[in-house]
Amino acid sequence: MFGKRSGYPLNEPELKGSCTLLEIPQGAVYKIVEIRGGPGLHRRLLSLGFHRGDMITLEGEAIMKGPVLVRNLNNDTRVALGRGIAQKILVEPVGSDER
Amino acid sequence: MKDKVPVIVFVGQPNCGKSTLFNSIAGYKAQTSNFPGTTVTHAHSEVIWKGKVYSIVDLPGTYSLTPQEPQEKVVLTHIFKEKPDLIVNVIDASLLCRSLELTLELLELEYPMVVVLNMMDLAEKKGMTIRVEELERRLGVPVVKAIAIHGLGTKELMDSVEKALLTKRTPVALQYGKEVEKRIQQLVKILPENFPIVANKRFTAIKTIEAETLTADKFFLENNRAFKGQLDRLRKELSEWREAPAYEVISAERHHLALKIFEECCRVRHARISWVEKLDNLIMHPILGYFFLLLIFAGMFYLIFKIGSPLETWLLKPFETLRLSLENNHNLWAELLSGLVQGIGGGIAIVLPYFIPLLLVMGFLEDLGYLARAGFLLDSFMHRIGLHGKSVPMFILGFGCNVPAIMATRILESKRDRIVTALLIPFIPCAARTTIILSLVAFLLGPWWALGFYLFNLLLISFLALVLKKIFKLSSPGLILEIPSLKLPSLKNIWQKTYFNLEEFVKFAWPILIGGSIFLSFLSFVKVDHIINAFLSPFVSGLLGLPQSLGVTLVFGFLRKELSLLMMFQALGVGYQQLLNVITKVQLLVFVVFVNFFIPCLSTLVMIWKELGRRIALISIGLNLSVAVVVSFLIRVIFSLL
Repeated sequence: MFGKRSGYPLNEPELKGSCTLLEIPQGAVYKIVEIRGGPGLHRRLLSLGFHRGDMITLEGEAIMKGPVLVRNLNNDTRVALGRGIAQKILVEPVGSDER
Repeated sequence: MKDKVPVIVFVGQPNCGKSTLFNSIAGYKAQTSNFPGTTVTHAHSEVIWKGKVYSIVDLPGTYSLTPQEPQEKVVLTHIFKEKPDLIVNVIDASLLCRSLELTLELLELEYPMVVVLNMMDLAEKKGMTIRVEELERRLGVPVVKAIAIHGLGTKELMDSVEKALLTKRTPVALQYGKEVEKRIQQLVKILPENFPIVANKRFTAIKTIEAETLTADKFFLENNRAFKGQLDRLRKELSEWREAPAYEVISAERHHLALKIFEECCRVRHARISWVEKLDNLIMHPILGYFFLLLIFAGMFYLIFKIGSPLETWLLKPFETLRLSLENNHNLWAELLSGLVQGIGGGIAIVLPYFIPLLLVMGFLEDLGYLARAGFLLDSFMHRIGLHGKSVPMFILGFGCNVPAIMATRILESKRDRIVTALLIPFIPCAARTTIILSLVAFLLGPWWALGFYLFNLLLISFLALVLKKIFKLSSPGLILEIPSLKLPSLKNIWQKTYFNLEEFVKFAWPILIGGSIFLSFLSFVKVDHIINAFLSPFVSGLLGLPQSLGVTLVFGFLRKELSLLMMFQALGVGYQQLLNVITKVQLLVFVVFVNFFIPCLSTLVMIWKELGRRIALISIGLNLSVAVVVSFLIRVIFSLL
């Protein structure tokens, strides 16, 4: 399912229980389940240390549809992501026991 | 046999402090700041340690060895083509886990290597305890602790470097999981005879698998179909095994290995929220953040003006007296001497009082880590004008000097953004123009006029960005910008940085300012200035309504913007305080506006040419010239009507 990334239709059925980075509340812990978008974007995020399975938390949001501020809890790095990019990152909630 | 000077390269992820470490060993030679991507080209220096010479190269930061941005490619060229004798892998210890991913890639090269854990103080503040011996054992290379900003750990590092070079011990690459390792070994076996081997076969095989979707892959396809078939089969096996593209599978392996080593070597206890983090929350706040942004920049220019203007008045006095005493002699030598006095006086009394405070404040903001934060806050605004937040740090750098700002555009992902940003940067009032604005507009017309000027300037840039958006339509990728942790700047570092910039200024700008002033004296002595002025008169007097004698000063502004300012006094034959006796306020404004925008100065133009080619440089000249003419003409018309 990851093979042909470039032609990924955006309206593909969502993974069960997952949502995009734009839809989660600030401060709660989520897990990255999928990174959509072309290989260029995918590689950039990988090299910045954002992988599937990483725990992340939303730390802030700029006003007027500005970027979101995401902290990767696995390696404690912080990245500002534009909305278009945040939309391509699918996450699911993590129960407190899993942490 | 003659000893070759060993070459040592500093490699590490952006903002890990490579340049700071480099400077603390080699003396201040490379620009530093708390922004990922400050170094976009390499700096190098010969260092003598215990009687031996080493050549040390400071490379731009790179997140991985699969390059995506131009400055990252610089790293690869250095590592592969000019094979170094030793790699010093600099790590931000507070980001140990992620940094290890690059370390693992570097180990695969199997070059002699030393790891430096920089920013140990920051890691400790974050509650991290790193067991260095354990890390050394796991990585199989020497690990040195350092706090480069305080110069700690440099001696230990050089000792370690010396030892590593003597023993020539090459590290052993760490093994991945069985499934992945099996495929790598299979590829190693089938690498064709003529295949370009980089570093070693295993590294080459890994990079070949990772090259999926990159241009290198097409090259294999065209040249060796059989091999490409095998390669794709291995990739497919990896893909199916993990349900992800092969490059992600390898990256994930590295990620997990790094995580494992991190967990074995480092213990993290929860640290209390420090005041730095509280401050960070305030300046990144969705509403208050903008308030602080405004406050910081308004405060910055207010401070520079408050320090600069009394200093200027005080410093100008002796030069004024000297100039007046020379005024009545009219032989060649007296004229040239008068030019010399004006040149030196201008450089010292008019430029430095504003230049030094500006450098200090900029240095503070850079080291604090504010540039990336401004990028975050202004991203949505920048989107509206066709760019994104990653261009903001370059615009802020432009307030210091346009030249490094244009060089910094290399960290932008798309060529389109690089071009648009580089075309807009020359409209940012750099230190030279700040001097003109503050010393003419703020000093003679009042601070509010200067503030208005800055606001107008920013509006103009936004308007131009909108126009450029119409021309360069390609949509740019969204923002991906690492936000480094806020760091309390070291005064020593800021001072060194200011000193470094000041030295450059004295070395390159002063000769031009002084030479230009003397040259103008000479021109006026042989009466050539009248010819130039008469030639330019239809434009200068006719269109802009300025005194005819200013024509020649505008031409020379191309060399250095401050030169126009110094020459203006000279051409009008008055000192600072009497300026408004000979020209009107409107004329003063028109002059400032025109000088500000009319053309990127020579060094800026050379940099645009070098970075983006002749075409863009010519467009830049055309754009600036037309904007300057139109805007200064409009100013003349509007203010004359009032």
